[in-house]
Amino acid sequence: MTELRLVESAPELRLAAVETTLPSPLPRGHHGLPADLVRAAQRQRLLEAAAAALAEQGYGRVTAARVTELAGVSSRTFYQHFEDLWACLLAAYEVEAARLCKEIERAAEAAGDGEPEIAGDGAVGGRRGRAGDATAGAGRERARAGIAAALAFLAAEPAPARLLSAEPPPQVAALAAARRDLVDRLGTMLRSILQPGGATPLPGLERRLIGAALALVSSRAAEGDPQRLRDLEPELTQILLATL
Amino acid sequence: MPSDALSARQAIASQNGGPSDDEVREGAMEGALIAAGEVGYREASVRTILEHSGGHRAQFYRHFENKEDCFAQAYAAWVERLCVDLLEAAAGATAWEAGVRGALVELFRFVDERPAIARALFVEVQIAGEPALARHEAMVDRAAAALDAARVEIEPNLEPPEATGVFVVGGIEACVCEALSAGDPGRVWDALPELMHLTVGSYFGREAAEAAFEAAGALLERERAGAGGEGEER
Repeated sequence: MTELRLVESAPELRLAAVETTLPSPLPRGHHGLPADLVRAAQRQRLLEAAAAALAEQGYGRVTAARVTELAGVSSRTFYQHFEDLWACLLAAYEVEAARLCKEIERAAEAAGDGEPEIAGDGAVGGRRGRAGDATAGAGRERARAGIAAALAFLAAEPAPARLLSAEPPPQVAALAAARRDLVDRLGTMLRSILQPGGATPLPGLERRLIGAALALVSSRAAEGDPQRLRDLEPELTQILLATL
Repeated sequence: MPSDALSARQAIASQNGGPSDDEVREGAMEGALIAAGEVGYREASVRTILEHSGGHRAQFYRHFENKEDCFAQAYAAWVERLCVDLLEAAAGATAWEAGVRGALVELFRFVDERPAIARALFVEVQIAGEPALARHEAMVDRAAAALDAARVEIEPNLEPPEATGVFVVGGIEACVCEALSAGDPGRVWDALPELMHLTVGSYFGREAAEAAFEAAGALLERERAGAGGEGEER
């Protein structure tokens, strides 16, 4: 049985999904822990449990009861933190979307600090044969690093991967809006990583490309093999950059 | 129930003006898609399906195990019809790019004319459980294989990655989902030039993508002006 166990890792308190039958993340009763720490830990557990429950049951079947069960908290505690299941999933979505974007930005910046591995012809895939300069090559290397970081993040964390790549029910307007926001943000990031300060010739194109990339990632993630997701990097980089 | 008794019941039902079992089956499948498209898969129930299709619960359960099974069977039947229509639209063109454009136009017409069914096929299928999802994956692979016909026009050393077809199909689906989720299926037409850019560019690169974008934009303008048609082949 998969349970969630509280683990600490600097700089923030995080939870990891681990194979265990340990019943409870925090000691029950009078444990002397500050109330705000307990509350923060509960919220964090609920967010992670929401992603895990979604990965397990999908949007069609996921329930608040399953989230509380995985988090090891009571139903009462759940509703102290969230109005309903969708509010909990939305909060989880926003946290994981922010983490994904941060990973991409960090990797792209790090790639930009060093010598570009690919420069000169400006074609990561080498297919177009279009002449480019070192700046374009550096932009493409930053994009490659960002894509690799995104795939590594999603491969390492299957539950958030499912949460971020699955199409949410349109009836849950806030979740659908969060999804649109993520697509917009990733599209803007892709453009700015490639050409810092550059104009976008086709404003909608990046959104279409990101939508396609998320669908491809979702399909690959559903296979259940994290390495297959990581292995997607060269292909996804080549396809994404073919038209930009 | 013995099959002859069942047939007798069907005959009696037909004589009484009620729907036969086969009609119930077909109607329930369409009803499942319409109900899911209108109120969402989670909210749709056997009751709401029967409100659309007619018939009674006993007839429904003779054909389907439950709502999930009904949706999965309905998805398979309707997506097969849609695939045939799209492939026929593409086959009517003389070149790959025009075929893709023709298939997209056919798809957008379907989305525009049957938004509830389209919403079920493209949006609600994502949450409708494993049986429907497995059929969806098969549909994606089939559409990707059809798009891969482009490879015969590309030199082997310049061929795009293997995942290109699935990527493009995903991009088209995401675009359709976006319009349907926003409750504005007609706006899917606005994306035709961008989707042609994405599709052609993913196989043939930026230069071809830009030309496809321009051609699709011009086609849209002609269609909207009521003066053109899908007659020109590149």
